[in-house]
Amino acid sequence: MMKMNMKKILCGAMGLMMCFSLAACGNGDNNDDKQQDGTEGKKYSIGISQYGEHASLDNCREGFLQGLKDAGLEEGKDFEVDYQNAGFDDNMTIQIGQNFSAKNVDMMVAVATNSATGCYAAAEDKNIPVIYTAINDPEAAGLTAGNATGTSDKLPVDAQLDLIRKLQPEAKTIGILYTTSEPNSVSTVADYQAKAADYGFTIEAVGVTAQAEVTQGADTLIKKGVDCFCNLTDNTVVGVLPSILEKTNEAGIPVYGSEVEQVKIGCVASAGIDYFELGRQTGAMAAKVLKGEATCDEIPFETITEYGIYLNNGALAEMQITVPSDIAEKAIVTDAE
Amino acid sequence: MLELAVSTVTQGLIFALLSYGVYITYKILDFPDLTVDGSFPLGAAVTAVLLVNECNPFLTLIVAAAVGALAGFCTGFIHVKLKVRDLLAGIITMTALFSINLQIAGSNLAVGRNVDTIFTNPFISGLLGNMPLLYRKLIVALVLALVVKITLDFYFKTKNGLLLRAVGDNDALVTTLAKDKGWVKILGLVIANSLVALAGAVVCHEQRSFAATMGTGQIVFGLATVIIGTTLFRKMSFVKGTTAVMVGSILYKICIQIAISLGLPPNLLKLITAVLFLVILVIGNMEKGMVRKHA
Amino acid sequence: MLELKDICKVYNPGSVNEMCLFDKFNLTVDQGSFVSIVGSNGSGKTSMLNIICGTIPIDSGAVCINGKNMNSKKDFERYQTIGRVYQNPSMGTCPNMTILENMSLADNKGKSFGLSKGINRKHLNFYKEQLSVLGLGLENKMDTLVGALSGGQRQAVSLIMATLTPLDFLILDEHTAALDPKTAELIMELTDKVVREKHLTTMMVTHNLRYAVEYGDRLLMLDKGQIVLDKAGEAKKGISVEDILHLFNAISIECGN
Repeated sequence: MMKMNMKKILCGAMGLMMCFSLAACGNGDNNDDKQQDGTEGKKYSIGISQYGEHASLDNCREGFLQGLKDAGLEEGKDFEVDYQNAGFDDNMTIQIGQNFSAKNVDMMVAVATNSATGCYAAAEDKNIPVIYTAINDPEAAGLTAGNATGTSDKLPVDAQLDLIRKLQPEAKTIGILYTTSEPNSVSTVADYQAKAADYGFTIEAVGVTAQAEVTQGADTLIKKGVDCFCNLTDNTVVGVLPSILEKTNEAGIPVYGSEVEQVKIGCVASAGIDYFELGRQTGAMAAKVLKGEATCDEIPFETITEYGIYLNNGALAEMQITVPSDIAEKAIVTDAE
Repeated sequence: MLELAVSTVTQGLIFALLSYGVYITYKILDFPDLTVDGSFPLGAAVTAVLLVNECNPFLTLIVAAAVGALAGFCTGFIHVKLKVRDLLAGIITMTALFSINLQIAGSNLAVGRNVDTIFTNPFISGLLGNMPLLYRKLIVALVLALVVKITLDFYFKTKNGLLLRAVGDNDALVTTLAKDKGWVKILGLVIANSLVALAGAVVCHEQRSFAATMGTGQIVFGLATVIIGTTLFRKMSFVKGTTAVMVGSILYKICIQIAISLGLPPNLLKLITAVLFLVILVIGNMEKGMVRKHA
Repeated sequence: MLELKDICKVYNPGSVNEMCLFDKFNLTVDQGSFVSIVGSNGSGKTSMLNIICGTIPIDSGAVCINGKNMNSKKDFERYQTIGRVYQNPSMGTCPNMTILENMSLADNKGKSFGLSKGINRKHLNFYKEQLSVLGLGLENKMDTLVGALSGGQRQAVSLIMATLTPLDFLILDEHTAALDPKTAELIMELTDKVVREKHLTTMMVTHNLRYAVEYGDRLLMLDKGQIVLDKAGEAKKGISVEDILHLFNAISIECGN
């Protein structure tokens, strides 16, 4: 008896889901019809596919919407957003892209590489523009051809090295902790190693394979006598940043962040990306495409050229670092909250 | 709506190839094989590199299946010959493959739109005329899924196939049949992982890209489809296991697409998947009247 | 013919649990004889069978079958000409496969398992014939999953499967122990019938002293890795259950039980 009931419940649940789906898809179609009917003041549909919930990526999306707003487009009136996030699941990015493609949205916006790939593939034989952001290397991701453009979040290695040199004129070695399985980290470390000599530094890099090894890696670097730590956007390392800071503060070694969120946590300074700004820049590009002022192939992908300098005065004081006035002027102070 | 249905079913058919592989290890061999998370992207990595170097698209499928077979062999060898527990043997190969995949294709490798894939090459285009890409993908995926299914159904009925089923059912019997059960297990893992890598290859053709992260969670997907499929058709013994898991794979993709259409947050989605998974497992066990060892 | 020559086997060597089971153990079993083996737990009965089948390694000595030394052969290689029925009825069959599939597997023992058709329909009548000997009506249930059969039925199928192909030896490892008395009786009668019909050299380990006395033409009793009783032919016929029981008790008293 019991199992029969369970079966019925399961069947019921599945049936219900099917009904929901039909209803949901039906609604989608209606929206499309409305858009096609409305000749004047067309309401654009924008599908945003984000790889997962993550502070930087969220900032990026919010910045994007701000960018559209700056261009005079109002959410609800001029455009509608269908926001999906894949929960860091590559199978989901594929299906999200296909969902947008089937609904014939006016634009797909992809936050992070894997989401961009999904959207781009779903639009292969359609003319739906794909605007991407927070992608390390759009060229390598094959997103520079076709109806796609966007922004790259490549770390400003030169700017960061320059900042460290100015804040610590005597420093010789920079310690970097990174995860060997995070490709962006590996390539950025190589970038640092190539450019360090230009600024009179040597790089002492320690690779880890898991979060549990990070603090051990920090100990190794401290023992090696590095003059400072420099973070990347390495998820594994940044995830345990507070415990790294605990060790470095004790040893009196300053840690530089790679983006504003890390400075808020307690890094001394960063010449880095503000993902909100990156998103805003992307939003401006998207607005041009939506309004028909330019097509994607006319706008090459952009890398942020102006980087924000972020300082944490509390942490700087603790490390007895004095900030030259030219830097202090253009920097944004983001002390720990 | 039709378009969405077509692309969703296409996904289901492509991933059915992976489900067949998991069906062989989990249902037939009774071997919880975690190699899948590594062999799936392995197939994609090899395919991406070959496609970029202008290899014949159909040849890439064969090569991908071959390297997948090698991955399965490694897991089998580690388990059978080096006497490492099944779960750990899979984890070891999977971990190693993560690095190997990075070596083969880097973190991401894109295949440009000017490169012919199994969906866009002149042969298929000529065969299917001016059919839109969406439908071409459906037909190619359907043909692949059916060809593999029929081949497997045929294989399971051969003497070798019977032996493979026997080793998962009662390996002591295989020994008394004067066969080395270790090699039979290795063979099963070889076949399973070649199918998983084949799935990865087809996904690479379809998405025109490889990502190092694309293997994450594939074993969970595979197990879910196998359990959904086999539980749904438990009472219908005339439905073959391969058919059941193919339907399971399509159903799973439909459920995900429904969730996306409903706008369910993905964080919640994982929870829903887990609960649905548990409910199906429990129902399955209640019907069986016993709890499987490896459930 | 089976010969066990100077077999030595020590369990857990070098540890506090070190236990010497066999020290220069010798046994010869002639072609065509049916040997019943009894003995208390730990006397070495099952270990002896496992040594013959190559499931457990030996420290020294030799296992010879028909004069050939088997020491270097792995277990599955030895099973080429050895059939075995286990105590647990589920060990001898595949529960998730049909009777027909199980019979087909057994039929192919010793041959290569290639890509030819697994089930030979031409042999269907042969399988049915073999199963009909059991008198359980299983020949009419060829497409039933073996897992759906009772323990006794499964053990009967196991017995038929183990003896389907030509064998040098049949090994019965307490194969009636997990069955109820009535089914055990039935299986024992079937065993006797099959062994006689196929003239199999058989070694049967049992705890049932009556079976040991009633069946077979040679009786062995083992204790602590030693043969304490070995009667064959006419000498065996004169032995009663009471005699063995008496010997059993005597050994137990020696042990201080």
